[in-house]
Amino acid sequence: MVSEKIGFGNVTSTLKTMKIIDTEKKISVLIVEDDLLIQKIHKVMMTKFGTEVQLATNGKEVVDLFLSGASFDLVLTDLEMPIMDGIEETKQLRSMGVTSMIVGVTSRNQDSEIQAFMNAGLNACYVKPLNAEKVTVVLNELKNI
Amino acid sequence: MERTPLHRRVAYMRRCLFDQGYLDEQFVQLEDLQDEANPNFVEEIVTLFYTDSARLIHNIEQALQNRPLDFNRLDDYMHQFKGSSSSIGAKKVKSECTQFREHCSARNAEGCIRSFQQVKQEHTILRSKLEAYFHWQRKLDKQTESYPELAA
Repeated sequence: MVSEKIGFGNVTSTLKTMKIIDTEKKISVLIVEDDLLIQKIHKVMMTKFGTEVQLATNGKEVVDLFLSGASFDLVLTDLEMPIMDGIEETKQLRSMGVTSMIVGVTSRNQDSEIQAFMNAGLNACYVKPLNAEKVTVVLNELKNI
Repeated sequence: MERTPLHRRVAYMRRCLFDQGYLDEQFVQLEDLQDEANPNFVEEIVTLFYTDSARLIHNIEQALQNRPLDFNRLDDYMHQFKGSSSSIGAKKVKSECTQFREHCSARNAEGCIRSFQQVKQEHTILRSKLEAYFHWQRKLDKQTESYPELAA
């Protein structure tokens, strides 16, 4: 069983005590998720953390967004999606020179699956579901970049 | 603080859902997301889960009628189901999904059929418990609206 995350350190936090990082500009987040239930949860969670959220439902939409000139501070991407999965999406973004933080969020929990996702160019990877603690770690990491 | 019988009833129902293992910490995460901007968030998410899972249950039922069983497809469906269950904190449902997937890995058709009945059973039980809980929660919200001095 793989550890819950790869990439960043641990922090304890809850939504009730969360305080978004001091920034003059809102952190922009692209949530890439084809499951509408999980998409809704992640959207509300990230909005509650004070970020500005946009949604996509597959990797191709993401690549097209970046090709059209869009940019995001953070991409939170699922692995398994139709048309283009998270691995291919991440590889393409990195080969395009995208330096945004890309964090994988997947329900796959085997070491080999997570490592393959990481090898595509992720900054970190978490097993679903996202929670306040994981989001805090990611956003603090983003602040420190 | 639980002040009225209604407060105590709702609190008791909620506590039972966790103590009896129907829900886990993820449900608390959803509750924490509910606020003035999203006043019915938890109930909306649960409703979305039951709509979505009805589709998955149908797909699995259809797939279980094929011979031979396509264990990879069954596993994929149940993987999705488990993911959704996990997202709302449906602990027992998630556990039964795991059992099913183990039977898929073992290519155990009888095990899959048997454990799918357990998945459906837990899914139904949780729905009825959550419906009852939300019903009383809505009554409590109305009481709070009418008598804000009684708010917890």
